Amino acid sequence: MVSHRERNVQRIAALDEQAEALGLKPGLGVADARAMHPQIEIVEADPEANRRLLESLADWCDRYTPLVAIDGSDGLFLDITGCVHLFGGEEKMMQDILSRLSRQGFDARAGLASSAGAAWAAARFPGLARILPGQEADALSPLPLSALRIDAETRIRLESVGLHTIGAILHAPRAPLARRFGAGLLVRLDQALGQAEEAISPRLPVPPLSAERQLVEPVVHAEDIENLVHGLAGTLQQDLERRGEGADVVQLSLFRVDGAVQRHVVRATLPLREPNLIRRLFRERFSASRDEIDAGYGFELVRLSVLKASPFTVVQTDLAGDGMVAEESLALFADRVRARLGEHVLMRPVPVESHIPERAVRMLPFAAGGKAALPEAAVPAGGTSGVPERPIRLFLHPEPIEVAAAEVPDGPPLNFRWRRAIYNVSRAQGPERIAPEWWHDDQEDAPTRDYFRVEDTEGRRFWLYRQGLYGAVEEMPRWFMHGIFP
Amino acid sequence: MARSAMAQETICALRREISRIEGSLPERLASPQAGDSVVLRRGISAVREGCSAFLGTGVPKLDCALAGGVPRAALTEIHSLQTRDAGAATGFTLGLLALLRRADGRSRKQFLICWIGLADVFREAGFPYAPGLEKLFGFAAGGLLFVSTAHIADALWVAEEAARQKDFGAVVLEVRGNPARLDLTATRRLHRRAQELGRPVFLIREAAVAEPTAAPLRFTVSAEPAAPRRSLAGLLQDSIGHPAFTVVIGKSRAARPGRFILEWNPHEQSFREIRPAHSGALVPASGNRPHPPAAMGTVVALRPAGKAPAPGGQPPGKERPAHRRPRRAG
Repeated sequence: MVSHRERNVQRIAALDEQAEALGLKPGLGVADARAMHPQIEIVEADPEANRRLLESLADWCDRYTPLVAIDGSDGLFLDITGCVHLFGGEEKMMQDILSRLSRQGFDARAGLASSAGAAWAAARFPGLARILPGQEADALSPLPLSALRIDAETRIRLESVGLHTIGAILHAPRAPLARRFGAGLLVRLDQALGQAEEAISPRLPVPPLSAERQLVEPVVHAEDIENLVHGLAGTLQQDLERRGEGADVVQLSLFRVDGAVQRHVVRATLPLREPNLIRRLFRERFSASRDEIDAGYGFELVRLSVLKASPFTVVQTDLAGDGMVAEESLALFADRVRARLGEHVLMRPVPVESHIPERAVRMLPFAAGGKAALPEAAVPAGGTSGVPERPIRLFLHPEPIEVAAAEVPDGPPLNFRWRRAIYNVSRAQGPERIAPEWWHDDQEDAPTRDYFRVEDTEGRRFWLYRQGLYGAVEEMPRWFMHGIFP
Repeated sequence: MARSAMAQETICALRREISRIEGSLPERLASPQAGDSVVLRRGISAVREGCSAFLGTGVPKLDCALAGGVPRAALTEIHSLQTRDAGAATGFTLGLLALLRRADGRSRKQFLICWIGLADVFREAGFPYAPGLEKLFGFAAGGLLFVSTAHIADALWVAEEAARQKDFGAVVLEVRGNPARLDLTATRRLHRRAQELGRPVFLIREAAVAEPTAAPLRFTVSAEPAAPRRSLAGLLQDSIGHPAFTVVIGKSRAARPGRFILEWNPHEQSFREIRPAHSGALVPASGNRPHPPAAMGTVVALRPAGKAPAPGGQPPGKERPAHRRPRRAG
């Protein structure tokens, strides 16, 4: 039995058959229930866990149709338009779903109808399982108003005037109903009867292309999965060729025997078609140490879907055999690295128009041919003669250093302590004053930096800066280590 | 004579065969006599389709000590003793890369470098900064590709894959310390990859101690005070000039030790030896007199005091107190 807290009272939220047999009902106070039956077991409701369970169930239902939507806290909509023949008819499909769910320990009820509203009612009210098209009105007429998915307030108001069943309002004049009870009632009614369209918004985007394979004997080994990927990619290749496209993002869904669904995504820099390449990407993905595939008792359904496709240009190689090959092989290298280690490991520096050293370069994820779209990256690759000296290594975060004394208040430090070691400055150049970029909101009142290039007595060259000026702020300005020169 | 020439040729052929099996360069087996190695080197360059097997550093003495230069188709280790010397080690590597780019005849954009580093190196020693690389070593930002991984195993995998790519002009792997995974086997794998494609792989090891490696060449680079800047008026006092490094050859095919103080000229993109290491400059010059260090030993040891004028304007021996008289040697 599950309890939940409502208006400061622990009440029963849901209960199993045994508790029902004792005469308990949802909504009863837990204290009353305990008084009546001291032996009952009560657990606190966990809506978060319920939601997770429902989501994993929705993932599992993905095997039947890509259009799965979550309905409230206890229902799932499956749009099986066009999928029925794969499972041998509507009746068989429903039986298959119910039997598989009951084997997993769920007590599920299913309803099948040509409209979402009618199916909702069919699943929740006994006696109905399947409403044939055209018979919605007859099937729904005897049902109570709660089968219409209307809110409780409207239902109570309808019942107070003696309208208890759907049949009672089905033939009533529509205008007075809408005036007294709101347009929502009529919308729900039309939706249940299939006269108004109701779109089921799927949880996951529907892939443009996918191929899957049901397995009689579950697979466990990564090599077998790779072989399956190769076969499925071969199927997809034909579809892609027909559409003149290549896959940019490929997803592999693995449906485990016990109902868990794993999804692995690889991204390609250039559109892919070749099954061998797709297989190689997934091999990298599986051999990565970061996420192991937990095969459990094996996978019974493997699905490969193309989440994003883009036009595929067939490049004619010249007789020498090079040409575009270099870019392609580089893109494949990048794809494999990313498939194995993640999206963020591969970076390409892009110069940005900025005076602030750490903003002058932006690290962007690698894209094919370096065609990274950047609005402000339009820095002409010009000469470097006018550019002041810049370090070859820049610390990701400037590191604070302790400066005991400077030669003159605005001059370079005589010595400093960085990472617990003392450095004596023998020579220094500077300052190079870099003012904050006041036109950016977040830097409006950032202090000015005075950069010095210093050399210590052992010959190491560093890039230091003083944040703020002496006298401008009350406390002493702080010093930072920002880069290293060769 | 003809017999000896025949024998010589047989020996050369055998050496080539052995070096092919061992995967090393024939110079290692060559006898120190000149002429022999010339033949061998010509053999190698024929194999490499006219492209020299070595990258000359532009410093004759260093090239000589390395028996030709930095091998192209090999793994080269560049060590720094401490993380704070990362600037020197990185700078020297970048200098070699810039020379390589020029030797390959590639433009700034065409020469792609794959720079793989562990995240902790980039955190501790700083991330390579593209504007600085461009200013000092002439690398365009578009020609750089950085890979930052969390684990050494991943970094090694990427490095091996990158070393197999024809697109990269060179591969740089940067690690800190002596990770256990980067052992003889791992370096040997990298070295083999470099050999297969004929592209160098540079392994920068910050704050590392020398340990067995498959790399035929290992440098230890540390910082060196830069020479002052030159201007038309002469040297500018207290200015910081071109980057300078102390380069110590830790291991090389020729097995000739050496210590060189090099300066990188960003304008000419070349190395230059600025002062010979271990010269008299290490002893501070005394007073306002010229200080010829070579004269000391000869004068004191070989000539009797008093006959010749003492060097450096010192008073003759007899005028000096006995306890300060130079000791006779032998």
